[in-house]
Amino acid sequence: MRYSVIIFSFILLLCLHNKAGAQQKKIVVTGTVIDKTERKPMPGVMVWAGKPLAVVVQTDIKGNFSVKTDADGELAFSFLGFKKVTKKVEGSTMNVLLVEEVNALKETVIIGYAKKTKEVSTGSSVIITAKDIQDAPVANVMELLQGKVAGLNIQNNNGTPGMVGSINIRGISNVNVSGSGFLTPTSPLFVVDGFPIDDNTSYSYGFDQASPGLSPISMIPTEDIQSIEILKDAQATSLYGSRGAYGVIIITTKRGNSKVPIIKYTANFTFSQPPALRKVIGGKGERLMRIDEILQNDTNYYHALNTINSTPFLSDSLNSYYNNSTNWQALYFRSTFNQTHNVEISGGESKFNYKVNLGYFNQKGIVQNTGFTRYNLNMNALYQPNDRFKLQAAINNQLADNSTGGGNSLTQTGVASTGASSSLLPPPSLFTATSDLLNTLSTQNDNKTVNITANLDIDFLIVKGLRATNSFSFNYLTQGTETFKPGALNSDLNKVYNYFDRKNTVYNRTALAFDKTVANDHNFSANVFGELNSTNFRADVIQQTGTPNDQIKGPLGYDFSQSLGGTLNNLADLKTASLGTSFNYNYKQMYVLELSYRIDGSSTNGPSAGYSKNPSIGLRWNFNKEKFMQKYSWLDYSSFRFSYGKNIVPTGSVYDVYGRYTAGTNYNQVPTVDLDYGVIPNTGLTPTTTTQYNGGFDAGFLNGKFSLTFDTYYKQVDNMLRMKDIANINAFSQVSTNEMSVVDYGYELTLTARPLPTDSKLSWQISVNASFNKDVMVHLPDNVSQLLVVDQTTGQNILYRLGRNSLTNVLLNTKGVYATTASVPVDPLTGLRYRTGGITSTYFKAGDPAWTDVNGDYVLDANDYVAVGNSQPLITGGFNSSLQYGPFSLNINGSFTAIRDVLNNDLASRFQSFADPTAQTGLVPLSAYNYWKASGNNATYPNPYDYTRTKQTSPFRYDQTLFQEDGSYLKINQVTLSYNFKKTVIKRWGISSARIYGTVYNVHTFSNYSGANPENVTDLGRDISGGYPTPRSYTLGLQVQF
Amino acid sequence: MKQKYKIQAFSILFMALVLAIGTTGCLKNLPSDRESIATNTQFTQTVYTPVLGRNTLFSNNFSVGNSSQPLTFKIINMRNRDGSAAPELTENFPVQVWTQAYLGDEKSIAEIEAKRTIENHPLFEIREHSGQFLMWSAALSTFVKTQPDSGYVFDVEMSNSGGRRYFRDFKLMPLKERSFEPSTFNAITGLSQHTGLSPSDVQNIIGAKTNRGLGGDDIEVQFHKVGEGNSLKFKFVDSLYNPIDPALFNLTKWDKLVHGFDMEKTNAYVKYTVAYPVPLIAYKTQYTNAAGDNAHVTFSYDRQAYGNIRSVSNLNLDFAIYEKGDWEITFWFKTESPKFIND
Repeated sequence: MRYSVIIFSFILLLCLHNKAGAQQKKIVVTGTVIDKTERKPMPGVMVWAGKPLAVVVQTDIKGNFSVKTDADGELAFSFLGFKKVTKKVEGSTMNVLLVEEVNALKETVIIGYAKKTKEVSTGSSVIITAKDIQDAPVANVMELLQGKVAGLNIQNNNGTPGMVGSINIRGISNVNVSGSGFLTPTSPLFVVDGFPIDDNTSYSYGFDQASPGLSPISMIPTEDIQSIEILKDAQATSLYGSRGAYGVIIITTKRGNSKVPIIKYTANFTFSQPPALRKVIGGKGERLMRIDEILQNDTNYYHALNTINSTPFLSDSLNSYYNNSTNWQALYFRSTFNQTHNVEISGGESKFNYKVNLGYFNQKGIVQNTGFTRYNLNMNALYQPNDRFKLQAAINNQLADNSTGGGNSLTQTGVASTGASSSLLPPPSLFTATSDLLNTLSTQNDNKTVNITANLDIDFLIVKGLRATNSFSFNYLTQGTETFKPGALNSDLNKVYNYFDRKNTVYNRTALAFDKTVANDHNFSANVFGELNSTNFRADVIQQTGTPNDQIKGPLGYDFSQSLGGTLNNLADLKTASLGTSFNYNYKQMYVLELSYRIDGSSTNGPSAGYSKNPSIGLRWNFNKEKFMQKYSWLDYSSFRFSYGKNIVPTGSVYDVYGRYTAGTNYNQVPTVDLDYGVIPNTGLTPTTTTQYNGGFDAGFLNGKFSLTFDTYYKQVDNMLRMKDIANINAFSQVSTNEMSVVDYGYELTLTARPLPTDSKLSWQISVNASFNKDVMVHLPDNVSQLLVVDQTTGQNILYRLGRNSLTNVLLNTKGVYATTASVPVDPLTGLRYRTGGITSTYFKAGDPAWTDVNGDYVLDANDYVAVGNSQPLITGGFNSSLQYGPFSLNINGSFTAIRDVLNNDLASRFQSFADPTAQTGLVPLSAYNYWKASGNNATYPNPYDYTRTKQTSPFRYDQTLFQEDGSYLKINQVTLSYNFKKTVIKRWGISSARIYGTVYNVHTFSNYSGANPENVTDLGRDISGGYPTPRSYTLGLQVQF
Repeated sequence: MKQKYKIQAFSILFMALVLAIGTTGCLKNLPSDRESIATNTQFTQTVYTPVLGRNTLFSNNFSVGNSSQPLTFKIINMRNRDGSAAPELTENFPVQVWTQAYLGDEKSIAEIEAKRTIENHPLFEIREHSGQFLMWSAALSTFVKTQPDSGYVFDVEMSNSGGRRYFRDFKLMPLKERSFEPSTFNAITGLSQHTGLSPSDVQNIIGAKTNRGLGGDDIEVQFHKVGEGNSLKFKFVDSLYNPIDPALFNLTKWDKLVHGFDMEKTNAYVKYTVAYPVPLIAYKTQYTNAAGDNAHVTFSYDRQAYGNIRSVSNLNLDFAIYEKGDWEITFWFKTESPKFIND
């Protein structure tokens, strides 16, 4: 009854008010609302009129509005994410510029599947919008986030089309080394429109197995992305529980929000250029160099002559097979021309909206026979008949086709080996010897990836404040590889390799959310949800060696002995179940408290490990809202944050927990089942756990002119999985245990400034971010205090030692080069010079590298390695500057990495190629390097020509500090100049907005590093010559909206 | 009012302080970067029996296991078997050390001597970082206990930044000097058991009387120290100890026989001024055997043999002399002299 009285009187009041208004003069005001920065008309802007202001209309697709209002009244314009503008009516036309809301606290964030403003969230997160990633066409959007988020360290160290480099949020989370110089990937969890995608699983097999190895994130077209949110601390990620331990990246795709359908077309035309190739010595120069090397350095003149004469490659200069000057690198690399097209149709309003995104993306690799093509059709729709019920559905179809040529998704070894062939050899044909190049060029590698995702979200308001939601998604990812190696390349036995895998993921989340405000000041919200995830994965392979001929590639299987294949042993059936709850409270949005708790069970947990429990707590104090702070008008906002939380990532497989049975031999004609004695079951296997503390400070000054975010964190990664050898008295040889721990701690700072006055025609926004991260090894298996991980191929071992950075290089310390033989140290007792170890010692002499004799026994051996250098960068960051003047805008962004040690294996292997002058490898000119030439020379590099002794002394071995360099760099990632066409010009073609832009991507890297690119190195900082270089690209793009 | 403002300003500062201390406080519990001292680190040899009078290096006696290098070693508690102190092994003595590499191409004694100098060291040392033991040649049985005495006992301390470990009760049981090798001395008693040795190799030498081939048993090599200088004399004598003219070994490269200088060749002997020990170090030069640990001399001659063929004969000796002095090496053709004349 009381309410009805109030309502009645309210209506009465409105009526009265209207009456009063009616007495004033009404006019029709028309105009356009334009986004000030983008210079684009803004559809769907709420136009407020009357007194009090109420929404009367929305702008149409061209940003136009027409509204009847009082002649002396006010109009207000509002749009989500933009500052509300209120203007007095002056005349019948009115053009309005809307400026983006720059108060970072008003940004909406999605944390734990719930939307809220940053002001009341206690976690550490960063939002990247579509605008920040729009102008450079790349296959994988993560590439563009480099340098944009403090604490997100992206190294674009892999130029293979469709691949992504390494992504780490807040330092490394896993120290297991696979292969030579690669870390087990620990990409963050991606949540695409509410559906979690793990980038680490099947993608990581791309290294050791022949799956296409595409990153699932490459399947999302950049144009379809509305925003990307990076959740860094454990409070923010805790509700993502399983798999959230490496950080969470939330990708939201676009939705329709215009009454009139909008058709947006984006086209990019890109020219990709390989980086500068290394200089090589060609033709006669190479031959003379080799002959000279032999004559100068062989043990005696006649032996030298004999060596030359018995090597036709050197002596038979008239043989047309040996008198070429082939530029091998040029045969591998190419400049390419690529295009992408994307059409987006969207429309609707708050009750019903839809979006369809159709895209084509093509990137031909700069290495021959590699490339990536993607087709996508993404659709979503939202239906909200009333405020109580909301239904969202989305279907995303993506098809990708990529080829890695003769290499795999990470490396192109063919380029490394044949690219370094002798120039004297003839260029490729089937009659030449170097099949590596042909392998790259003529191996048919055809990989298809199909990704289909269907999402259905239902949201129902039961009573006011209580909302039930259910999200269901199904994802089907299938990848296939077909590789055909012609017989000419494989000892006359052609080879067909066919790989096929499929992965089904069913994911369901049911949640109940409740929020309530008491006495206007006390805001409560609570949330309970359950999550189920079921993933199964199966990969099959057929491998057939020797089909009838190179033309007949099937049907497969005629010879039992040559037919290999079957289901691979990475068969997986993973199920996880979780239950989570969260509680938020804030008082006047000034004091914020967030609590959450989540329990996770995973089928890869051991039965004795039980459920893992992940609590989190967050506090925030927006102290600018305190009364005593009100007088500081220059302060927009300021707050302190603190959070603590735990997260897990399931590790290992069900086989690590329960063991594995294999088919055995027959016994009495009965097949037997054997136990696999490789890995002993460990029922206590638990997921990797991350515990994180975060402290933060945010502040904004002078009406958005300056803002600052500072975070400091302590992250402890426990229960890291590691395979451990066990004593041979056991029947088994290895066990998987969770016994390693690493701590990362660091600081992150982001500064943003808009130094020019708001009414200036030129607007300039500049932001800089940097993060400092240090990692420390804190626990090792069996409580040992150090462990050496041996790299058999390069000898560049890795040391894990408690209290030290987790991945320490172990190298010989090169102090210089012995200028004279007399400068080699002498054992005072035996009178012998410093020498190599082993059965026959070789004594060092002038021109040999001076390696520190750590244990002082005058013998160079395994005892003389020193723990030196850190392959993980200490400081990473980036900067971004955007200038806008009228329709023109200029964006420059860059990134930097500082204090990181890179091992220049590429340079080492170039020097090594001089070790055998009769080998048919390529030679590079050494004039740029200060190497030892004659006794008394004070050189940096040892004598490369003394080939008779190199086998014993190996002066250019990889495992020495000579090749460890500072890998710090500053890279200009992208420069974009764009122009927005004037509306009046394009109107006649029915175009509502048009934008043209030119982008240079990968512009330049400033570095003291002597190699090609300090970024294009493996996770462990090794510049291997087989890496796929990152191209520089020039793009001309067009965006049109109808 | 003013006071209230202060409290709140303080609370902001306090909050900032809590954040700062909170994060650095976490770091306090991190393990410090200390090197590893592992339990599987050990010495593989605990009884050391150096021969006195020569430089001895014991290597490959230590297995580093999982400890971090460099490790620092120290000999402690050097004592006699009865536990009393053994100052003769802990006090410094002047010893000859190499400062530059001996290469075998030195042109004079002075040039060789310029490459070594005198330093003071304890006679028995452990290499500071490698754990190798070394005994200097200045240690002599006149003041160091030798077998059959049970010798000395000592402990070793091993440390790095990760801590320290002790290895106890190493035994040092030196043997008496054997001034030349191959030796005629008994290792324990130090007494000579024979008057001489056989040459290392005898090739194609025919007796002048019987025409039979002479072997090792027909020739005795005797080492005699006759003075305290630094010379080396080679003599050949027949069965009656009458000198044989060295010039009869006509193919011998006398100037490259040993790394000696001021050759004095008479019809009774060949004498060189040499630097001791011989060889100076265990390093292969033109004067040593292939391993470099012994000097290698070849006396050679040719003659016209039966059937009008040229026969080349060699007499080889690999030896080492550790004690400085005027040494004489006498080749005594015990049974009969070699046949130098043509058939």
